[in-house]
Amino acid sequence: MQTFIQLSATALQIGAVYVLFSLGLTLIFGVMRIVNFVHGHIFSVAALVVAYLLPALAAGGLSAPAAYVLASFVGIAVALSLGALLYIFGFRHFQRDLVGSFILSIGLVLLLDGVLLHVFGGAVRGVPEIFPGRVSIGGAQVTIQRLFLCAVAVLMAVSLYLALGHSRLGKALRAVSYDHEAAMMVGIPYSRIAFLGFMIASLLAAIAGVLLAPVTIVSPVIGTDYLIKGFIAVIIGGLGSVPGAILGSIFVASIETFGSYYLDSSYATLAIFGLVIIVLLFWPKGVFGRG
Amino acid sequence: MDKRFTLGLWLVLGGAALLLSLLIQDFYLRSILNLMAISALLATSLRFVMLMGELNFALAAFTGLGAYSAGYLSTVLGLPFGFAILLAGLITAAVSALFGAITLRAKGPYFLLIGFAFSEAMRVAYSKIDAVGGTSGMVGIYPPRAFDDWLPFVVVGTVLLLLIAFYLVEKSDFGRILFAIRENEDVARSVGIRTYLYKVIAISGACFAAGLAGGLHAFVNQVISPGDFGYLLAAFALAYVKIGGEDFFLGPIVGAVLLVALSSYALGLGGDEHFLYGGAIIIAVLLMPKGVLGMLGKLRLKAAVSNDKVSADVH
Repeated sequence: MQTFIQLSATALQIGAVYVLFSLGLTLIFGVMRIVNFVHGHIFSVAALVVAYLLPALAAGGLSAPAAYVLASFVGIAVALSLGALLYIFGFRHFQRDLVGSFILSIGLVLLLDGVLLHVFGGAVRGVPEIFPGRVSIGGAQVTIQRLFLCAVAVLMAVSLYLALGHSRLGKALRAVSYDHEAAMMVGIPYSRIAFLGFMIASLLAAIAGVLLAPVTIVSPVIGTDYLIKGFIAVIIGGLGSVPGAILGSIFVASIETFGSYYLDSSYATLAIFGLVIIVLLFWPKGVFGRG
Repeated sequence: MDKRFTLGLWLVLGGAALLLSLLIQDFYLRSILNLMAISALLATSLRFVMLMGELNFALAAFTGLGAYSAGYLSTVLGLPFGFAILLAGLITAAVSALFGAITLRAKGPYFLLIGFAFSEAMRVAYSKIDAVGGTSGMVGIYPPRAFDDWLPFVVVGTVLLLLIAFYLVEKSDFGRILFAIRENEDVARSVGIRTYLYKVIAISGACFAAGLAGGLHAFVNQVISPGDFGYLLAAFALAYVKIGGEDFFLGPIVGAVLLVALSSYALGLGGDEHFLYGGAIIIAVLLMPKGVLGMLGKLRLKAAVSNDKVSADVH
């Protein structure tokens, strides 16, 4: 039982990051109908900036939490600027062009891979612990850092869910993802909404990167792993669906955690893929996908 | 383009490539020629599936399957070179038909992402199977001694044959059906075309070529490892298609020759492959969406128009 609780806690922690990732992917797909492969690099940039700044700031005499908050703001700002650049000079011209936007994003992935390796070097780096200590939940040990990660992820997911359902912007985003021409006809400024949707998604990825930096080792290629899992979660849940993204993420994270514990991490990856195939056999558009 | 001109073009370009493969004696240049031929075949295979409007990112997985099958058949089971490669192609075609039958029920983004995930899953799978060398891969996939001097000729010859096959299929009724599927699948189905069947056949044909390309790659490199067949392989093939021009049959071939030459040169100078390919794709999609060939065609058109003007002034 204790193992089960421990594993569930781990699954929730990993799942929380996947949720932030896949919510961004599904939001971008819903609004712009594009598949954004550079999403992982926005995450990587935020995590790398934190990993770089934090030791420097801490050495400068700031306390660990203060340095972390400061580094996080810088990381998110840098990642968001990158997102804005990508949108303005790239994806703006490829809305609703699945193949074109995908090709552009692959080009950007290769280029940014090169740039990040050049700027930050290939070495993995650890970030010192920010919130020390651990708590015991039903006999399972959970570090406070990971608890913090989960709390922020849940907060973000809930606020996005509520915002999409009730705010003006959320309604506009949903209208555009159902039928962008009809939305434009009733006066929704499509290009501004698309930009905001892209930036909200980038913000989610940046927050995920900042949160993950202290609990994992950071390297320039870290984003790709999460991106793949995020996409698998979105395929299972259905592209463009918010509940689909959340449930898909938790599902993928559970298989990964339990599979890694009882079998082997590689078999867990293979099992996830097998399940995607089974899901596609019965729901070609994902479980919550729309026709 | 009239028929005789096309035939002439094939003869000239194909003959030149074959002649080069025989004349070049330098070891390094030979390896580049082999790489160009195999890359051109992979890019053409990718473009063939793009004819029906799908991006086949499982290309990387199927190239790997071909390479591993050829390697296993030749080193473990001791099958002869040509037979191992052919069988590798057939195995790949069979597996890709099954893959297509399942995944082609989904379309567009789903198909693309599943192919991507499949490539990554296969990469993990190779590293877990000890019979094919696990993480370190397979070594010692040698072609027979008699072929040592002929290997580039065999590679270029095989690739040429397959390219001709792709060309003939694209110009046949089958090619028109693929085009109809891309333009509007529902309309194609409404006139009685069994689009699903055609799509599965197209995928399996394209992946047969990818399997052969993988088999050739295994014998050319003599060493293969799971890392060779990540999604980057498909991304590079996509770069060849985009740079050359996806509207043209020669596009992927021109793109492969240009980019492989450029990246070999850049690597010699200590450059980074990722920069080069990434930069090339971005420049291509933003500045010359029709690729190098599209740009050349436009220039020729402009020249023709200005020539007309001149002649109009004279008369």
